[in-house]
Parts: sequence; C-alpha cells; structure tokens
Amino acid sequence: MTATRAIVAPSHTADSIKTPRSRAVNVRGLPGRLITWAALVVFAVFSVVPMIWLILAPSKTAAELTSQNPFSFGSFDQYAIAWNNLMLFQDGRLVTWIINSVWYTAAIVAISCATAMLAGYALAATPLPFRRTLLMTTLIAMVVPPVALVLPLFIEVTAIGLYDTPWAIILTSSFYPFGVFLAYIYFTSSIPKELYEAARIDGCGEFGIFWRVAFPLAKGLLGMLAFFSFTATWVNYFLPYVMVTSGDILPLPVGLGVLFSATPALNPGVGATILPIRQPEIALAGLIVAVPILIVFVASSRLLVRGVLAGSVKS
Amino acid sequence: MGTLAGTLMFAPYFILLLAFGIVPVVMAFFTALKPSLANPAGGFMNYLLVIQDFRFLPALTNVVTFLVIYVPLMIVVVALMSLLLDAIQSRWTVGLRAAYIVPASISGAVAILVWYFMLEPTYSPFAGLLESVGITEGSQIWNTGSLVWIFVLMAFFTGAGNWIIVQYGSLQSIPDDVLEAARIDGANAAQLALLIKLPMIKRYLIYMAILTFAAGLQIFVEPYLISSTVYPGLADNWSLNQLAYSFAFQSANLGASAALSLMLFVVCVIAALIAIFRTDFFEDVRSETRKTRRAARRAGIPAGSAL
Amino acid sequence: MNKRYAIATMAIVAAIGLSGCTAGAPSGDAKPELLIWVDSTREPAAKAYKEAVKDDVDVTVEVIDTAEVVTKISLANTTGSGWPDVVFAGNPNDVATLADPSNGYAADLSTAVDQSVFDDYNGANEWCNIEGKYYCLKNDLAQSVLWYDAPLMEQLGLKVPTTMDEFATEAMKLKGTGYVAGAIGDQNFYASYLWPSGCPMSDAQNMTTVRIDPDAPECQRVAELVQPLVDAGVLDTRSSFDAGFLADVAQKGKVAMTFGPSWFGEFVMRPESSWAIPAGHVAAAPMPTWDGNDKAYSGEWGGGIWMVSSHSESPEAAADAAVYLATDPTLMTDSATFPASGPAFEAWSERVSGDDYYASDPVAAMVEQATLINPSEKPVRYDISGQIGSVLSTEINGGTPIADAVRKFQDSLIQLAPGSGYTVEQ
Repeated sequence: MTATRAIVAPSHTADSIKTPRSRAVNVRGLPGRLITWAALVVFAVFSVVPMIWLILAPSKTAAELTSQNPFSFGSFDQYAIAWNNLMLFQDGRLVTWIINSVWYTAAIVAISCATAMLAGYALAATPLPFRRTLLMTTLIAMVVPPVALVLPLFIEVTAIGLYDTPWAIILTSSFYPFGVFLAYIYFTSSIPKELYEAARIDGCGEFGIFWRVAFPLAKGLLGMLAFFSFTATWVNYFLPYVMVTSGDILPLPVGLGVLFSATPALNPGVGATILPIRQPEIALAGLIVAVPILIVFVASSRLLVRGVLAGSVKS
Repeated sequence: MGTLAGTLMFAPYFILLLAFGIVPVVMAFFTALKPSLANPAGGFMNYLLVIQDFRFLPALTNVVTFLVIYVPLMIVVVALMSLLLDAIQSRWTVGLRAAYIVPASISGAVAILVWYFMLEPTYSPFAGLLESVGITEGSQIWNTGSLVWIFVLMAFFTGAGNWIIVQYGSLQSIPDDVLEAARIDGANAAQLALLIKLPMIKRYLIYMAILTFAAGLQIFVEPYLISSTVYPGLADNWSLNQLAYSFAFQSANLGASAALSLMLFVVCVIAALIAIFRTDFFEDVRSETRKTRRAARRAGIPAGSAL
Repeated sequence: MNKRYAIATMAIVAAIGLSGCTAGAPSGDAKPELLIWVDSTREPAAKAYKEAVKDDVDVTVEVIDTAEVVTKISLANTTGSGWPDVVFAGNPNDVATLADPSNGYAADLSTAVDQSVFDDYNGANEWCNIEGKYYCLKNDLAQSVLWYDAPLMEQLGLKVPTTMDEFATEAMKLKGTGYVAGAIGDQNFYASYLWPSGCPMSDAQNMTTVRIDPDAPECQRVAELVQPLVDAGVLDTRSSFDAGFLADVAQKGKVAMTFGPSWFGEFVMRPESSWAIPAGHVAAAPMPTWDGNDKAYSGEWGGGIWMVSSHSESPEAAADAAVYLATDPTLMTDSATFPASGPAFEAWSERVSGDDYYASDPVAAMVEQATLINPSEKPVRYDISGQIGSVLSTEINGGTPIADAVRKFQDSLIQLAPGSGYTVEQ
C-alpha cells in the first residue's frame, strides 16, 4: 500500500465493498463486545456533551445557567434576547465580524484552491523546471504549521504596508502547500496519463488540457481542497490577530477574543453593570463561530473516512 | 511550450510560496540581528538573550511537558479508538463517527469558551464527575500546575476525533483477504488488531505524531486567551510562542522575537525533514519522477471519486 | 437604554457650554478625526462624547481589552501607524511605559491642558506626574476602604476595626461560622494588603532604579497576619469575581467585611449579577492602620487614566476629549468609580451619599482614604499587574502559603525589572 493511496484513495473500498459480517465476527465473546461498545459510546458521549451544552446555553438566562440542569432547555425567546444583547456591543459590531469572516474566508478558499489546483497540476502533468526542489519545498511547508511563521509574516506585512488591511489576512492565509500536495497526488494518481497524452495529440495546449480534461475530472479534488481550506481558515485566530488591529476589520474568531476580554461574560472584572453580555450571550457568539464548522465537518465525515489522511491540517 | 505553460500555472502559487513561505524566513533572519534596548549591539547575541531570558526556561519546560503528554496520548487514544471502531461493524459506526468529529468544531477561541464552562463546576455538565475527583470550584483546576493538562485536554479534544476518523479510514482500506487469512490462522480480535492492523497503520500514526508535535510546539491561542478571562494573566508567557509575542509587542524587541520564532521554525523544519526522509510516508513522492505512472496504476482510483 | 440616552443628552448640553471656552474648536474646513480606545465600562461615556461633539469632531470609539493597551500601542509603534488619539488605560501603571522616551506614545499634557484642570484635581493627578510633567489624566481613584455588611456585623457582634491587628482579631471570630472577611485570590490582595502596608514592589527611586524587597518587614507582616486567617477559612483564597465564590459565599450574604477599592460598592457588591447584596447592608469605613505605619494607608486597584497620543494629528481636539472624558461632572455622576477630579467628584458624591442603597454614607470613608494612597508604589515600566495575575493570584488560588506566594511574586518582579531598564535595589 502506498502513501499516495492512503491519502487520496483507499476510498473505493471504504464505503461499499466490505461486507459488514466479515468483520463483525472479529470481536467474539460477549464481554469483549460489551467493553468495546462501552468504550466507543463513552467516548462519543464525551465528544458531544460540550457541543450540546453550547447549543443549549443561550436558551437560558445567566441565572438559569447556574441554577438549572446543564442539559435543560430554557426558551427560544432567550436566543433572540441573547442576540439582541450581543448587538449592543459596539452597535452591532458582531455583524461586521461575521460579514468580514464570510468574505475573508470566501476569498481565501477561492484563491488557495485555485492556486493549489493549478500548481498541483503543473507539478503532476507538465515538464516543470526544478520540479523536485519545488515539490520538496512544498512538502516541508506542508508539515511546518502555519503558526510558525506568524511573527515573521507580521514583520513582512508591515514592511510592505499591508498591515491592518483585510489583504494581510487573505494573502497570507492563501498560501496552501497542503492543497498543492493534495492536488499533485490527485493529478498524478487518479487521472491516467494516457488521457493527457490523448488530448495533446488532439492538439490541445497545456491550458486546454487542464481546462477541458483535468479540471472537469477534479470536482472531487476541489471539494476536498475547499473543505480543508475552509476548516483551517474559519477558526484561525493567531494569524489574523497579529495581522489586523482595527475593530471593524477583525474576523469573527478574533472578535470573539475581544468579547472575552472586554465583556463581563468571562472576565467579570470588566464590569457587570455596563453591558448585558454575559454567559448566555458569549455562548451564542461561540456557537456562531462553531456551527458552520460543525456542519461542514459532520457533512464531510464520510470524506474523511475515505482515507484523506489529512486531518493533518488541523491536528 | 509545455514548460512555459506549466511554469505559468505554477506561478500564482509560487508567488505565494515565495512571499509568505520563504521571504518571511529570510526577513526574520535579518530582523533577528537587529539591536534593541536590551541588546544595543544586536547580532547573534539576540539568540543568547532569548535563551537567557528568565521566562524562556519555564516556557520551554511547559511546552515540552505539553508535548510529552499530548503526542503519546494522541497516538495511544487515536490508535485504540480507531481499532475499536474498526473491530465492530455495524451501521451505528456512522453515528459514532459523526459524534467523534463534533469536537473538531470546538477549536481556538471557542475551545477556551467551552472549556471554561466545562471545567467550572458552577456551570459544568461534568460537575458530578469533577466533584467525584474532589473538585468543587474552578480555581482548583485553573491554576498553574494544571494548566498543561487543560491545554492537553483542549488540544486532544479538538484533534483526536478527526484523526480517529482518518485512521479508521486507513484501517478500512486493509484488504479483507489479509484479515481473513489471519483469522483462518486462528488470530482472535485482539491479536488481529495488534499484530495485523496496527503495523499497517503505523506509518500514518508516525506521520500524525510528527504533525501533532510540530503544531503542539507552536501552541499559542489557548494559553493566550485564557489569560484574558476570569483568571487574568494566568498563563502569561506560558508557551514559547507567547514569549516571542511578548518580546515583539511588550518589550518592543523584534530582534529577540524573530530569533525565538526562527528557533521554533528550525525545529519544525527538522520535524518535516524527518517526516519526509526518515519515514516511508512520502516514499512515493521522493522517488516520484520515475514511478509516477506505476503509482497511478497501482492506486487505480476512479477519477473524481474522492467526494 | 434610557439612562444612557439621558447621559448623552446631558453631555450635549455640557458640551455646548464647553465648546465656547476651549481652544480646540476647529476652524475652517477639515473636521478633526479622533480615534478613542476605551474599555467597555467607559464606552457609554465615550459615545456620549462622540455625540456631544459630532458637529465639530469625527470621533471613532473602539472597545479594547485595557490589559492590552501597552501591547497594542507597541504594535502601532512597530508599524508606525494606528495609534489611538486618546486611550483609556484601566491599569494606571501603563503611563510609565507609554511616557518613556523609548516608547514615546503619551503626550505631555502639562501645557496642552489648561492649568485649571490640574488645579481641580487637587493633588489627585500626581500619579501622572513623571519628572515634573503630566502624561495622563486620572479618570478615577480606586483607593481601598473597608467595606462591611452593617446589619451582619452587628448581628455577629463584630466591631469595625481601626488597626490591622483588630481586623485580624475580628476576622478570626468568624472562624467556623461560614462567614468570611473577604477574598484575596485576585488583585485585591496586592491593592488592599501589600500596597497599604508599604511592601516595596514598584518603589521607583528614579527613572532607572526601583526598590523591590521581599525581605522588607512591610511584606513579611502581611503574610504573617493573613496566613492564620486563610488557615481558619475566614479569608477566601478565590477571586472576588470567581463564579464559585459568588455562588457559595457572596450571593448568600456571607461576606461580613472585605477590603476593596472605592468602586467595590457600586460595581461588585450591588449589581444583581455580581454579589447582589440587598439594600440597607453595605457600608464603608476607613482603612485600618498597619502597626508601625503612621497613617492608615490605602492602595489602589484600578484607578484608570486617560492618555493622549503624541502622534495625534489633532492634538488639541485629543486633549479636549481627554479632559472631557476624565473630568466632566455630568458624565461622571453615574460612574461606578470615584471621580478623581474635584467638580466631578462633587456631583458624584451627591448621588452616592443620597443613595439609600447604602446602610450609611460610604463617601466619607472614601474621601478620607483618597489622600492616603501609600506613596510607596509608583508607576513602573514593567507589567506589575500581569505578574499579579500570573504569579501572585495564581499561587494564592492554588493554596501556596502566603509568604511563599508573595516572595515568588516579588522575585518575578526582580527578574522582570532589568528588562525594562531598571536596576533593582533591596
């Protein structure tokens, strides 16, 4: 089995071919089965409890949060009240942050996927000069976590005058070596070379081949690239935190950090009398950050099972 | 002509690679030599200055302790849970998998928020559990001694589910005939897991360990944000990255900050090189030039099937 | 909302009165633009100001974490842009860093601000005086006083202490009753014990020398007095803001007395969401005297300051804004904190004195302590409140013996100070 396959491929066997029975007999004996199931279920419960709490929290008032059962449901009205209270913070600054996050993320996903796909294709299917060097550099950049370069990036972004602009976040986050690697693997292994050659014989230029042959076959790849780019970008904190400072251009996660420190919800020293932003409100704000990611993840868990050895981006 | 087209296609990414992958490293190298109030002469003294700073050793100890707990925990739990998940074969695994992926959405700033509440007995759904180990108030948990465990918990929770699913995916791709053969030889479930399946996913576990290590080394958000909540300053300068941040923006010492960042960067690059050249994970890529076609044939993936 | 609207309206009225006599009124075309950074507590005031001057000045209000004022301004220094014209720092110590030439953010206000403003402070702005120049305007004084629950003290048969030994004796009587004499697991321990005692922690002798002495008797006696009270369970080692402390102790009315800054009554003890002490209970007394001190000194927890940017393009408008935000009587009337400027204080004390929430008028004790803030602590360029959070409070929360916690805290300051250009003497 090759790395290549593990990353993009184990796939076609994963979801269909295996007959459930053949593995079901693996764990024989009732005690073994019970222990296995118990472990799996307990782990599942621990996994979902925090999220369930987070979803329920804004339905209660701050007082009810401490007095009632953590899993009780307050009322739907309370979500609206919490939202309205959040809107009091800097005249609805939260909405600005949401809009910022949406368009920054959209721009990053678009740029990172487009550049990664083109570069991956170039590495895989065209006679690129210095290709080995470029591939190695990309591999190294892929394993080194993006956080490692945040402070040096700050120095650079300041020097070129992009500091405190949306572009400081968008451009730096669009560098996506992992995507290039994925695309490279995809174009080398899942599209037969013969196809490219046939197109070449038909008189297609390299761009024509990419556009007419490779791209239409790479919708799946595009989905994967977008998935990893989105999940990494939407929650990113450190990089945008260092890249911008003005309140009206912060993305949502950084804004959430501002809410932590500037409201009495988590930092009661700030002053319980001024802002009605307390625990339910902060939980709602957290929920707004978490839900898009949650939906994307749960919807894509099939994708992950298909052997994209790549949770790597998140670790 | 193909060369030109390929170069053009590679160019947009290459610009990003150059601008945000290579140039910052070069700039950091020169910035790290800059003088500051604390070191008016500048130069390589900045590196020494960082290492001699009284916060450096505690931060290093914290991060090392964190890694020593976090990385093995990830390997053991991820291996165990994915093997267990693979051992049962039931339609319920779909639900279990969905459950395991949920915590991945609680990361970064949201993780701080959620874990504050989870570990504060006044709010926590785990209050009973906390009480059973003698914890009745938040300050028993939120103190310097247990910070490392809190960060391990947060990082583990965010990352483990993802990896369990991924490793489960690798396990599922082990051909049935291999398992069948072992079973006929009389292997029981445990032997099957430990002797057949585990060795087959070993390389992915190692790869995961390296990535986890590199990411863990850079820990910043969790300790940083904790310090602006109920326990102000609790984890100030807890991690090396926080220290780098403090150098840059509290002591106005960009030189020291860049020096520390570079040191961390070098460790990560070494980890990357180990991943690439010392594990067999990227074997195919390393020798790709000649083998591409063979790999493609072996992989034999239906085009467009990944989603 | 109504209240806020009312403030804004009053602010407009006040501003119309003001604009006639200030020099900052812009002449001609370009409307000056001001960026003001505040914490969320000061946001309504800043908005009221924005509203009041909207025809003359374009004000942008930004809420930030005031613990990060120095960080964010250093960041602006690095990038060479993005400084706020006016900034509120909840941590008055920040002025030392920001006024230092190596940072250069804080503008010298000595001439930009009218002398009468300084006169109105009547000495309460001396914190901002660095080498003869004023680099900030005090928003409020956060002098510690002894807060107590009057009916409860009577019921328990405790008398209000006037010396620290009496305090210890009275507090010890609470042993085993479930009542406490306050919580020390936060900055209160620094501000209401160590500082009033005169323990040298940021005793700057001049611009380059600071005295930090863990062996000073003023430090040791604090630990000696407090440790038995902690052991007896009458001083809680959590923070006064801790959710558990609120639920188990404060909201159950179990705080018989506690030292606390002048804003404790309005800000901590009174609000429903905080300690929720009902009306008719809270009273304040002057600080007890430490044996050996000639005066009954206070410390300060907070006592925020306003600073003006030396990089501002509209320095006059910025200075006007700072003066207004720091001293306007109408604005200050409803503040939770004790206004530092005289006229603002008059208006404020009228409201608080007449408030029948209090069992007795707490203002007298605050006024007495206002001039008794122990001069042993001074602004320094190292982040003392950061160390309080990461060392002192954390150690106390974690159950470290008080003497060890204080020593560790001071040792950390000794290590930190040289990085900010100080020589430490003991």
